[in-house]
Amino acid sequence: MTSEKPTMSGQTMIEFKDVHKYYGDYHALRGITATIKAGEFFSLLGPSGCGKTTLLRTIAGFEGISSGVVMIDGKDMVSVPANVRPTNMVFQSYAIFPHLTVEQNVGFGLRKDPRSKAEKAAAVAEALEMVGLKGYGARAAHALSGGQRQRVALARALILKPKVLLLDEPLSALDKKMREQMQMELIKLQRQVGITFILVTHDQEEALVMSDRIAVMFEGEIAQLADPETLYRRPNSRKVADFIGTMNFLPAEILSEIDGKVEVEAKGFGRLTLDAEQVSVAPGSSSASIGFRPETLTILFDGQTATDRESRAEVVEVVYYGDMTYYDIKLEGTTEPMRLSMRNVFGRPVLDIGTQTRVAWSPGALVLFR
Amino acid sequence: MQSKPKVRFWGSEAANGLLMISPTAIYAILLLAAPLAMIFAYSFMTDGYLKIIPEFQLCNYFGECHSYKDVNGARSVAQTYRGVWSDPLALTLLWRSLVISLVVTATTVLLAFPVAYFVSFYVAPSKKSLWLFLITIPFWTSYLIRVFLWKVILGTGGVINSGLLEIGLISEPITWLLYNANSVVITLAHAYAPFAILPIFVSLEKIDRSFLEAGRDLGESPFMTFWRVTLPLAMPGVVSAVLIVFIPTIGDYVTPNLVGGPEGKMVANLIELNYKKLDNYTLGSALAISSMAIVMAVSLLFLFLNRRFLKGNKR
Repeated sequence: MTSEKPTMSGQTMIEFKDVHKYYGDYHALRGITATIKAGEFFSLLGPSGCGKTTLLRTIAGFEGISSGVVMIDGKDMVSVPANVRPTNMVFQSYAIFPHLTVEQNVGFGLRKDPRSKAEKAAAVAEALEMVGLKGYGARAAHALSGGQRQRVALARALILKPKVLLLDEPLSALDKKMREQMQMELIKLQRQVGITFILVTHDQEEALVMSDRIAVMFEGEIAQLADPETLYRRPNSRKVADFIGTMNFLPAEILSEIDGKVEVEAKGFGRLTLDAEQVSVAPGSSSASIGFRPETLTILFDGQTATDRESRAEVVEVVYYGDMTYYDIKLEGTTEPMRLSMRNVFGRPVLDIGTQTRVAWSPGALVLFR
Repeated sequence: MQSKPKVRFWGSEAANGLLMISPTAIYAILLLAAPLAMIFAYSFMTDGYLKIIPEFQLCNYFGECHSYKDVNGARSVAQTYRGVWSDPLALTLLWRSLVISLVVTATTVLLAFPVAYFVSFYVAPSKKSLWLFLITIPFWTSYLIRVFLWKVILGTGGVINSGLLEIGLISEPITWLLYNANSVVITLAHAYAPFAILPIFVSLEKIDRSFLEAGRDLGESPFMTFWRVTLPLAMPGVVSAVLIVFIPTIGDYVTPNLVGGPEGKMVANLIELNYKKLDNYTLGSALAISSMAIVMAVSLLFLFLNRRFLKGNKR
């Protein structure tokens, strides 16, 4: 929970204080405490059933809470119904009204707006232009593609200038290309309008790409809340490490602990000393293990030498991806294969299975879980 | 069905399709289209005593008509009557039937909507079929028995009157409950309730609940969300309910016969009279075709007025 990126205003927009939610006996939210800052692109990330959508819906007001406090812009939301909250939502299904045209959908929330008809129509046209749907106003809602529906849903929410825009897995229904394009567009749009965006997603890559900060949730609790880089490089538990990207784990033995610095011995890496910030303590865990990302190990080709440390290894599997090659290697003295990724460089061969090689690594890129 | 190269039709997809629908098609032609065509043809023919003279004429619809009888081999006029649209009695009954069925339709659909809404929105999903089942239970008994039961309820010595007399709210029985248009409306509205509840329920069930959340999210109160989102999306079901109730009630003759009294008689009673007692098939047919035309005109007008709710709501 360190090194937070500076945000536009830095003021607190949403505050959860020990929020609990029960569905009968089922404990869906288990003491959520967190703050979301104004102007931030915040993501709730987790596997399905972890409570991320429930948490989002408590902000929108579709879901009451059993105990705790949800504050938006300094106001307790406990008795504020959904239609009065300063939030708008892009639904997973987009919820584009099928009986209305694109224009009528986008202008749906403007009924009580005191502006004149012409001004409202201009606002609708502007909103449509902002999401790249200029000239689509008269179309019937059911004649739109998935990507277009999503844009309409965005325009319909943003035209009301909410303090917070809630996005419930908005990209999950799109194909890969469209999804990547919409990710970039959403980031740009968020910078342009400066509204706090809260995204619910189960796609860790999507969360890393888009967010200023991410809350990783498991079983109704926030496991880690940090910016993408911290989350990726310094996950605070094996569970988070496993969920975000790929992480290799090697069993390790703790030799000594002096002033927070931990000396460990791990087969394949040998004896090494780690800083306090590289150590994450999970309550109740008995065994220690070293974790490292696939790209933190580099295969040394003939003549290359390691700048820091090196180990011997054997290639046991090769997966060629074009720009990258993934190797499964066994470090000397270990039995479990570890995943390693190498950027392919012109003129350098892809190694064969069974090749004996050397890998370079640096103790600073490792994490110790205990 | 064999695919001989010369006779291409047999074994083709079109032939298979026709073969598949042929039992239904034969049923529809024999039992629906043919009788209808016959009635349509009768309405332009001439009435003879116990037979129909195949001579074309329009007077069953407009103007004065004659029934004929063979007297010693010569045709003589047995009776003179007016065509449907020139006969004040027929017009009165057509008008009354239209008004009664419109009132029945409005009452039934307005009462059915809350029931359907309740079952769709407030009953737990696992209990919905049980609720629909319960709604249909009164309809396991014969239609006639249910009509008679309304006599028991509405009559001068009936449940309502004796109850009100007992508690002293009235000093003499209310007579306007039975044997007039009111009792016809009440009885028919009850009889057609499930036929209105079911289509409305189905269209409410089809509404994605996120539409309602979106309505709230975009700043509308529960009532305005109902008005702007739920109701328009439920309109296909309301339209079906209206047609399902309106079309058969205008031609109902059992209910007006039993509970309608003289003021509650409807056009179907006149058709029955012409077919059975007066033996005037041609006038009876013209009455049937005329009321059918009215039903068709009103239904088409209704569909036209609701066309924007019925267009391609595929999602």
